[in-house]
Amino acid sequence: MLSLSEPALPGECIRAEKAWKIYDTAKGPVEAVAGVSFSVRRGEFVAILGPSGCGKSTLLMMCGGLEAITAGRISVDGAPIACPRTSIGVMFQESTLLPWKSVLDNVMFPIELLHRPRREHMARARELLSLVGLSGFESHKPHQLSGGMRQRAAICRALVYDPDILLMDEPFSALDAITRDEMNDALLDIWTRYTKTALFVTHSIREAVYLADRVLVMNRRPATIVADIAIPIPRPRDPSVGETKLFNELCSTLRGMIEHSHRAARDVTPYA
Amino acid sequence: MPDATGRERLLTVALPTGTAVAFLAVWQAVATLWAIPAVILPAPSDIVRQLVGSWGELLYQASFTGAEALAACVLSGIVGILVAAMLASSTPLREMLYPNLVAFQLIPKIALAPLFVIWLGIDAPSRLAFSTFISFFPVAIGTLTGLQSTNPNAIRLCQSLTASPSQIFRHVQVPYALPFFFSGMKVAATLSVIGIVVGEFISSKHGLGSYILLAGSRAETARIFAALVVLCVIGLALYGAIAWLELRVRRAWRG
Amino acid sequence: MAAIRWRAWRPIVLPLLFAGALLLAWQELTGWLAVSPMLLVPPSAIWSVLVQAWPVLLAQSWPTLVNSVVGFLLASGLGIALGGALVVSRRVEQAFWPHVLIFQLIPKVAVAPLFIIWLGMGPTSRLAFAVFLSFFPIAVSAATGFRAADPTALRLCRSLTATTWQTFLRVRVPYAIPHIFAGLKVGVTVAIIGVVIGEFVTAQEGLGYIIMFASSAAQTALVFATIALLCGIGLLLYGAVALGEWFVRRWYGAPISAGGFE
Repeated sequence: MLSLSEPALPGECIRAEKAWKIYDTAKGPVEAVAGVSFSVRRGEFVAILGPSGCGKSTLLMMCGGLEAITAGRISVDGAPIACPRTSIGVMFQESTLLPWKSVLDNVMFPIELLHRPRREHMARARELLSLVGLSGFESHKPHQLSGGMRQRAAICRALVYDPDILLMDEPFSALDAITRDEMNDALLDIWTRYTKTALFVTHSIREAVYLADRVLVMNRRPATIVADIAIPIPRPRDPSVGETKLFNELCSTLRGMIEHSHRAARDVTPYA
Repeated sequence: MPDATGRERLLTVALPTGTAVAFLAVWQAVATLWAIPAVILPAPSDIVRQLVGSWGELLYQASFTGAEALAACVLSGIVGILVAAMLASSTPLREMLYPNLVAFQLIPKIALAPLFVIWLGIDAPSRLAFSTFISFFPVAIGTLTGLQSTNPNAIRLCQSLTASPSQIFRHVQVPYALPFFFSGMKVAATLSVIGIVVGEFISSKHGLGSYILLAGSRAETARIFAALVVLCVIGLALYGAIAWLELRVRRAWRG
Repeated sequence: MAAIRWRAWRPIVLPLLFAGALLLAWQELTGWLAVSPMLLVPPSAIWSVLVQAWPVLLAQSWPTLVNSVVGFLLASGLGIALGGALVVSRRVEQAFWPHVLIFQLIPKVAVAPLFIIWLGMGPTSRLAFAVFLSFFPIAVSAATGFRAADPTALRLCRSLTATTWQTFLRVRVPYAIPHIFAGLKVGVTVAIIGVVIGEFVTAQEGLGYIIMFASSAAQTALVFATIALLCGIGLLLYGAVALGEWFVRRWYGAPISAGGFE
């Protein structure tokens, strides 16, 4: 367990220390995140895995400065996070492309807001789009694209202003299984090329194992991290990894943990 | 930590009440301190005095306006349902009539009020017809949209259960259409009062519309305001009645 | 081939056919049943009155048209500004939104005589009344529109450290525009209604005055001709707003339904 006073380790990028999120509702306070501590090293790909409604998205938004922290501390690059920063890129569950902008203009939207030089970033936007296989679609409008293509554009938008950290909130959960596998490969591709620190929230065990260096398993009650599992599958990974013994063993270990923590939650009285 | 939701709920009520009270207070202060002539702007206290003083007269006039507005509202409900049922029942009929009906809504129908006087005279039937004429349309459109928005899978399910068309109508189409019908009725409630008031402006010898016009010609501004207050109560009461009815009917259908 | 073409044309041809048949029946039946010209005049008679009285009607339609257009434009500016002001903060919205909604429900038409007392019998009071009537639907739809922005898009802006003003201009306004146009379409008709009611009540000038005058003189054909002209003005102004909406939609290039973006 990390103590509050411990200095940031070299190479440490995100660090949560007993972070709490408590919502006031009509039925009384609800603990969405209950004293979570973890850390992510620079360039590491970490997945937060948990059942739906366990507070993992809230935790991610707290890391991005988009949700206030009730108690405890989350620091990014050594400084406690209180509001969103331009060193962090966020991907949401929906692609959130603006319907009246073309794909290229959507990717350039952060550049527009941040008043960065347009010319050089335009080249970068086109490069990113071609990397995810969207060249030729620059002037299409979002409604002309499939769900997978929209999320590809959203990846480009999150990377165009070159943030150091990428926070992803179940970005592919609304897609069908086949598209989802394609998106995972596209994401790995782009991540290897740019090596960002990545924090990826998902409820899919296979997705977490396929993508991450480390998987943090999150429990529902209390909403806290119950396990921190390293994924020693060598990179670069491709879909054939999914058939290896190691991959499937890791998956069943994680499944066991989620089921175990579920049972434990059912055995104790509901968390008041 | 303070109870945030309780505070929020209190503010939702307290803030609008506060602004309303503040507005009235400023009005009262401005009217009395700057000694604005009562013809231009009577103070709220003058209006209340007028309300109390001519209560009987106002109530008498309101009885005409209120009864006619209620009747017009009911009539537009009936006409609206009939028109919607007619349009929903036949595709060619709908294709023929619907665009004409919609185009008709784009014109300032209020201008037709004098025609109703020519046709039906200056009594209640003329105002009722005019008011129904301007307020049935939202009900018709709403109900038609509702009848057509029925989930096709729900109908397929009923058909697979060999339900009769009348059963499907009662158990599927009516519940689907009810919210649409009532949102149309809420618009009609407001429009039917407007229709009656405009009718009273141009023809009637009684009712709040003619009362307001008469008070206006005599420059009795406090009297106008008092009548407006009563009229607003009628408008809100009619709207509230529809909203209450919707609640009851929805509960009866458990929608 | 012919069948396909008919199916495409049907939604346009059928209503026109119906309207034509209605006019024809009106024309023939009034003659056939010898309806009193006091009650109903055939379309041909309306047309000839329209042609005869054209100079007078044209002169009287000018104040009606000008007051309607100016009133509508003023109401649009005020309504959109208030709609934007309402969503500035949650507290402002809580404090004023219920009042705006209640104003939507009460019969505002009845306030017309007050405007005469305040602003006299002249065109100013009619203009102010038109602004007053058409302001509310525009303000309500604008406020609804400004609130209709996709919440995740707002969250995206926050994550990009956008300022409130940037978010308003680049996200809230574009999301609101379809809603605002829905309000403008209602508002333009209501502005004309405001002017006409003002003309009914003040009886000084304008097409509303002509309608009142002709109906009290039992000149039913003139009433109909004036109403027809007024309907023409109504459709013209509505068409102008609809044209504006069409241009905006084309600029968006995205599917927009009445309730905003699909």
